[in-house]
Order: sequence, then C-alpha cells, then structure tokens
Amino acid sequence: MRSGNDHYRDTVTHVTGTATLVAHHLTRRFGNRLAVDDLSFEFKAGEILALLGPNGAGKTTTLRMLAGLIAPSSGSVHIDGQEMTPRAAPGLRARIGFLTEAPGLWDNLTVRENVSVYARLYGLGDPDKAVSAALALFDVADRSEDRTARLSKGLKQRVALARTIVHQPPIVLLDEPTSGLDPESAKDVRELIVGMRSQGRAVLLCTHNLDEVERVADRVAVLRSRLMAVGTPGDLRKRLFAPRLRIRLSEPAEPFAAALRSSGLGDVSVIGATLSLAGGIRSTPEIVRTLVHAGAGIESVEEEERSLEDIYIKLLNPEGALQ
Amino acid sequence: MRMLALLRKELLDQRQNLALFVPSLIVAVVAILLPVFVAIIIPYTTGERLSDSSDFEVALDMFRAQPGTQALDPEAAIQAYLFQFFAVMLVLIPVTSSMSLAAYSVVGEKQARTLEPLLVTPITTFELLGAKVLGAFIPSIALTVMSYVGYVLIALVLARPGVAGILLGGRATAIVFVLGPLAALAALQMAVSVSSRVNDARTAQQIGVLVILPIPGLLVGQLFGAITLSLPVIVLMAIGLLVINAGLMWLAIMLFDRETILTRWK
Repeated sequence: MRSGNDHYRDTVTHVTGTATLVAHHLTRRFGNRLAVDDLSFEFKAGEILALLGPNGAGKTTTLRMLAGLIAPSSGSVHIDGQEMTPRAAPGLRARIGFLTEAPGLWDNLTVRENVSVYARLYGLGDPDKAVSAALALFDVADRSEDRTARLSKGLKQRVALARTIVHQPPIVLLDEPTSGLDPESAKDVRELIVGMRSQGRAVLLCTHNLDEVERVADRVAVLRSRLMAVGTPGDLRKRLFAPRLRIRLSEPAEPFAAALRSSGLGDVSVIGATLSLAGGIRSTPEIVRTLVHAGAGIESVEEEERSLEDIYIKLLNPEGALQ
Repeated sequence: MRMLALLRKELLDQRQNLALFVPSLIVAVVAILLPVFVAIIIPYTTGERLSDSSDFEVALDMFRAQPGTQALDPEAAIQAYLFQFFAVMLVLIPVTSSMSLAAYSVVGEKQARTLEPLLVTPITTFELLGAKVLGAFIPSIALTVMSYVGYVLIALVLARPGVAGILLGGRATAIVFVLGPLAALAALQMAVSVSSRVNDARTAQQIGVLVILPIPGLLVGQLFGAITLSLPVIVLMAIGLLVINAGLMWLAIMLFDRETILTRWK
C-alpha cells in the first residue's frame, strides 16, 4: 500500500535540462587579504563535486560568489551560459538552492511555515503542494506542524534541505551539510545528497569530512585560496602517487624484502607480513616469481589504494612526509 | 508577492513572541490613564473643580478658540483640553512598538543565522526592507487604534458629556492617525537602517530612541503655550515627516549592503 509520502515523492520530478555552473578565474579580495585566487572549475547536472580545503581556504566565500551573494573582485560565474551580474543575480539565484552552514530556520515558525515562506519567496505556482513534496522527500512531513525550535539537529538539517530544494533548483550548493550531526543523521543526510544527484541536480558539496567525500562525490576540488587540484579521486591518485603493489605473505616479510632489494628493487617497505613496493618498475609476475623463488608463501597481490586523506594531505603539503 | 511572503513570516514570528509588545502596552496604559488621573481622579479626590483653578486659563483660551469647543461647559472644556493634550502620548505607542520590533529585524535575522538563506532567494533589498518595515508598522498601528478606541471609551464613560466627541474630531484623530503613523514609520525606518549596520539589537534600539525625543518636546511645548497642535500645524508636521520618511527609506536601502552584512558580521 502506498503512503501519502510516496505520492508526494512521486511529484518531485527529476530535474530536466543540463544545468552547468562555470567559475572562471574567480578572485575575491577582502582589503589586502586574498580569500580566493583565480579559481576556475565547473560542474554539471547529475554530478556531485566536493570542495575540500582547510579552514579559511575560501570555501564559503567561493560558495557565496557562486550563489551571487557576493561579487567576485575579478572573474565570473556562469549558469547555463548566463553570467551572474548584479542585474541577473536575482533571476539566477532562483536556479540555485543554497544550504548554509547553519540550518537558518525561524525557531518560532513551524516546519511547514518555514518552508512555505521560501516557496512563496520563489513565487511557486502551488506553494502548498511544493512544500508538501519537499517535506515528504526529506521525511519530515509528519513533523510539519511542529515548531522548528523543538526539532533535533538532524531533523532541522532535513528541514533546511527541504527548504533548499523546495523550488526544484537544478543547482544545489551545500555548505558543511553534515557538520555537527550524529553518525546516523549524517548518514541519512548523505543519502539525501546522493538522492539529489539521482534527481539530476548539479551538487557542490563543501565539507571537511573526507570520508563523506569518498562516499558521495564524483569529483573533488581541493582549495587553499587557489585551486590545488580538481578531478575524480582516481585521477588525483594517479596524478599524485606512483602506483604501488601490496603483497601479503603467509609469514614475516622482512627476509623477502631483502631478496627483492638484492634483485634491484630499492623502494620496498615492510609492515609485518605485508610488503609494499613501487609498481611499474618491474612487472608484477616478475616480482611474484622472485618472491616464490625465495620461498615466500603469497596470500594476495593487489594495487595499493591511496586514501583521499593521503591525496588531500599531499596536495596541501606537497613537501610533506607521505611515502 | 515576495514582500507579502516575508511580511507573513514577520507576523507569524511575532505571534509566537508577544513579549515584544510589552513595552508598547505599558506606554499605551500610561497614555490612557494619565489624562484620567489629571482630569478626573485628582479633581474628584480633592473635591476641587478644574474650572475653579486659574492654571488652565491661557491654555483654555487657546483651546476654546478652536471650532467645536465653544459649546462645552468650562469643566468639560478643560477635560477635553487635557484629553487632547495627552493624545500626543498616543503617538508614543506606535513609535515605541515599531522600534522594539524593527530594531531586532535585520540584526535578529543575522544573529539567528536566518539572513543568509533569505538573501539567496530572489528577494530585492526594497522587498526585504519593505517587509521588515511593514511587519513592525502594522501591529504597531493596530495597537494604536486599539489604544485610541480605549482612550475615547474612557472619556465617554468617565469624562463630562461632549469630551469624547472632541476626541473624535479632526485634530485629535490627525494627531493619532497621521502624526503617529508617520512618526512610527520614521522611527522604524531608522531602527531598520541601524539594525542592518550593527551587530546588536540593543544598539539599534538606543539610536532609534532619538526619534522619541521630539514627542515629549511637543508635550512640553504645548504645556508652555509655545506650540498649539492646530490642524495647520499638524499638516505641516505631517509634510515634514513624509519628506523625512522618504529620505530614510532611501538611506535604509543604501545602507543595506548585503556583502558587508554577510562578510563582516560575526
């Protein structure tokens, strides 16, 4: 049996069109301080781009420029080919849903009233229906008559997300959407973000949470005033780290590391029964043969996967000690 | 349409925060009771008629020069004079009421971190400030109307015949319904402007208080015969307030800098 929520969920149609947001040489100064320096990237419909960077890296300033809230000192933002100028900004802002770091809900108003104000501010034809659909989508329809002051942090974030997409924006900017949430609520919110991608929205996710990025993002942009890198996690791994092999043995690996070194492989490290060595210098079958010849019992051979954290640290600290 | 949407939110928000109206209610009670004490309770308790005192002679002569007042007996004329004199206090109701609402309007949104999501919508500065101004103005004027009705009813019940009729005349109604709203509009526009430039609602309120100062000045001026709030004087003051209001609206829009509000407020 279908619930009322299912009905409303069906009314949230997939976003049509291929909204693309392009940032072109975006720069923003505050007095003498350069907050964002020559930033260029783009993201498109059905994609989640994660914007990573340390505190003060210019992430929020970048989001505000993309949303047309503050003007860049130089550079431009284009949405579907239309430049975000002061004149065009009000119209273009209607195509954007922006979740600010704080939920920003009016505590004295009910959940429905909060979202309803925004539905009317966006001039929706049937605001009540749009509000019901948004609340159902984020599973807060049953709390619609509660004052938001009475909601948990996780529920407030859901309401804020419902408010963010009530006008069906093709572009969604999310500033730290899971910040301060308990793991269960954070997981729920992540699923909702992935749902936005399935609906065909272009999502820019600004976060410190690398695990979250690993789970949901299609591409990653690392920012520290300047754009350090942008690409899929796989691309960044290839770009930043030489491939490495991880060989798990059935016994302590140190004697076999010596055998590999004496065969001419210099970069070999050992952790217990696992060998880690630079790939691409010699073929994998050749390395395996050397180990078998030395009497090693091999349990597994796999390419070593660098974590996103490794990529992030390497990008922000290029001279760092990562091996 | 967008202004209406935000105005609706302002009124919904106030519905849950009725404590905001307490200062205005106190002013309303004082404004209503003051002439009752001076014109009715004190003469009643002392047994001395107001018309027997020479203190009111000059004021009474000026007052009785106005049309419609000659028919009143001496005691009723003095009571009517006092009720009309203290009617200026009713102007304080919308001013204090609107200011306590407006001072919090923008800085309150910022403190609650609700302003940034609002600024992302297509709402214009004029619409946003218009909703804030009307959101404070409408309940203030409603409170003033209720106070005025109470004022007239008390005069009808407690004062001598004919006094309430004078309060329904052009002069008193012009004070309450023209000077009051225009002064309130000026006060709340000033409070909204200041509210969009400071980090603390109290600062906005303190600066907004400056608008109240001319109102006691009017009372004192009338008392010493320096000014008579005749209809032409009220019209002149209304024109002056209209000009001030237009200037303040322009100033409020100029001062509302979205970038500064978002990037410098902490």
